[in-house]
Amino acid sequence: MFRMKISDSKTFKSVLTAISAIVDEATFNIGPDGIKLRAMDPSRVAMVDFEMRRTSFDEYEVEDESKVCINLSELLKLLKRAGKDDVVEVSLDKESGRFMVTMRGRYTRTFNMPTLEVSEEEVPEPRITFNVRVTLTTSDLQDVLKDAALVSDNVRIEANEEDMVMVAKGDIAGAKIEIKKGSDALISIEAKEPSKATFSLSYLSEIVNAASDTSDIVTLEFSTDMPIRLDFRQRYDGKLSYLLAPRIEVE
Amino acid sequence: MKILRRKILKKVQRELPWINHILSDEKVAGDLNPSAPNLEIHVRDGSPCLICRGSRMLCGKTRCPAVTKLYSFLRVKNLVNSDKIFGSSPPGVFVGRIGYPYVYAGPLVPPVLGDTSLFDTPEKWVGKTIEEIIDFRTGLIRGKFLVNVKKPLSGERFLDRTLEIALSRDSVNTEVLFKRKPSGSFLFDDEVQPMGPSAPLLKIEVENPKVDRRIEKAHGDSDLRAEEAILDLYKGEVPVSRIQRAFSAGAFGLKRQRRLVPTRWSITAVDSSISRRLIEDDVKDKPVISEYRVYSFNYLGNRFVILAMPSKWRYEWIEAWYPGTLWNPQGGSIAIGSDWESYQGRTAYASLGGCYYAVRLAVAEALSRERRQAGVVAMREIHPSFIMPLGVWINRECVREALKQEGEKFDTLSEALTYVSSKFSISIDEWIKNSALLKDALYQERITKYLH
Repeated sequence: MFRMKISDSKTFKSVLTAISAIVDEATFNIGPDGIKLRAMDPSRVAMVDFEMRRTSFDEYEVEDESKVCINLSELLKLLKRAGKDDVVEVSLDKESGRFMVTMRGRYTRTFNMPTLEVSEEEVPEPRITFNVRVTLTTSDLQDVLKDAALVSDNVRIEANEEDMVMVAKGDIAGAKIEIKKGSDALISIEAKEPSKATFSLSYLSEIVNAASDTSDIVTLEFSTDMPIRLDFRQRYDGKLSYLLAPRIEVE
Repeated sequence: MKILRRKILKKVQRELPWINHILSDEKVAGDLNPSAPNLEIHVRDGSPCLICRGSRMLCGKTRCPAVTKLYSFLRVKNLVNSDKIFGSSPPGVFVGRIGYPYVYAGPLVPPVLGDTSLFDTPEKWVGKTIEEIIDFRTGLIRGKFLVNVKKPLSGERFLDRTLEIALSRDSVNTEVLFKRKPSGSFLFDDEVQPMGPSAPLLKIEVENPKVDRRIEKAHGDSDLRAEEAILDLYKGEVPVSRIQRAFSAGAFGLKRQRRLVPTRWSITAVDSSISRRLIEDDVKDKPVISEYRVYSFNYLGNRFVILAMPSKWRYEWIEAWYPGTLWNPQGGSIAIGSDWESYQGRTAYASLGGCYYAVRLAVAEALSRERRQAGVVAMREIHPSFIMPLGVWINRECVREALKQEGEKFDTLSEALTYVSSKFSISIDEWIKNSALLKDALYQERITKYLH
């Protein structure tokens, strides 16, 4: 059983929107310390890792570990009705087994919706050694991806201690985007060794656009021909990160 | 006598400059004599037919599509050389789309009595020759009246009769009186679908049609949404062409929302809504197939190959036109177009149009029958011997045909692609280059690889 209350409904909405880019039917682990979710998208190309600790909530009552599966687009439809001053409370109704969403503002409304069969799939944390770590603003990353998407479906990301370069090659046109150490767009860059890997722009853009409302700062970590991790710094106590598998380069 | 015949020949040659090179003897001339009045032959500006006139194969096809259609058209025209016909509607109706919301609509009636159902049942056409299919299309005379599709007035006599015909189970004997002799104009063209003569309606009488009870039930329920009606009927094994015909005539939906739907859009609407529901309800939550599969079917210069891959539901449709085929008349190289959807579906209309949805229906129904899901790439290679468009049904029915067969099974994608390659003339690299799903399967890695 659980019941939690959050006055920052905007954050709650935006983080659920960010998760819905990867999964629509989301199975949350709800425990005494907070709520967690780790899930892959249907084609198993991308993964989301989310955590919101109990201190992020105004009130948090959880007796023991449980799992609940919710259709996120249905839940978001309801949450859209919450105004910015509304306090949102979610809970599981013991008798009906339904998920309850209460919004308290100038008046009170309570919605109920069904829970779905929980996914028993436990996604382990992938063990990957990242050789590059780049931090930049989310809006700069969004712009970079928009530039690359003009010419291609894929982008190759290369980085060393001095700069990060993104290369997109299309049938007709190409693009090269350089972000150098010391420029305003680059907050920090670390590289154990120069690395490069190629990723699908549709996945990358979808992830970054979905997460952009939750975060101003993003850290990218990758290694040559390995998955990329995008860690979006959250305003609450918790985390939101994604892992995206690379594309094999063929020329 | 001989002199008279020569005269006819000369006269016909004069009137039909487009084809005077094939009017070599008097018999052909008599057969094609357009001065059976009211026949005007038009050519679009800039059409290669203007120069070619059926003689030089400028369009690159193996046979002149315009002459083939004209033969069929004239045969029919000679059978309806009056301002009325008495024939059996297959049943069939037509709703045009030009001038929307004011369009021409009306019944389709051939100058033949009896069971004519085959004329308007594309589900039964696979295997027929191109001439037979042209004859089915051209053989249907369109009686037409102008109607506002959004405000079809009930009690409007032509509309009521048209709806009666659309709801019928069997061919319906119909007597039609036209304002003038049907025939009018023939478009000498290599790109439009064959169509029969038409004329405005003056009077129409329908001999008590036997209604398909399943369709009548959906028609009588004015609280049943059109989409639900379509799906219920499909699940009740009503043929798609019959559902589409009734939907087009405005037979389904909430009472106030009922309206006529142009034939062309009604076909796509029915294909897309049935397949969408099958995918959501009967495919996406089912187990993934456990191997790579390849199905194929060839028909009238079209080669269809369907590759099913073990993955969650996703779908792609790729069409490749050889130079000299319909959408690639002047090109020196092959033209390829594709559309696809991920597990989440599409948010925009497919650029390739109705065929995308027609094939999606064939694919979705095969998977739902088997209670499996897969990632499916359906491919069509069109050769110049496919001389004219015949409608989206050819895609739906050929892919259905392909998926009825056993299919070949493979353990790896590369084996499956080698087999696909053996079925096509276009190289597999070219297909891969134009396929989002194949590129994804070949080049995109999965997270699962890193989870150990």
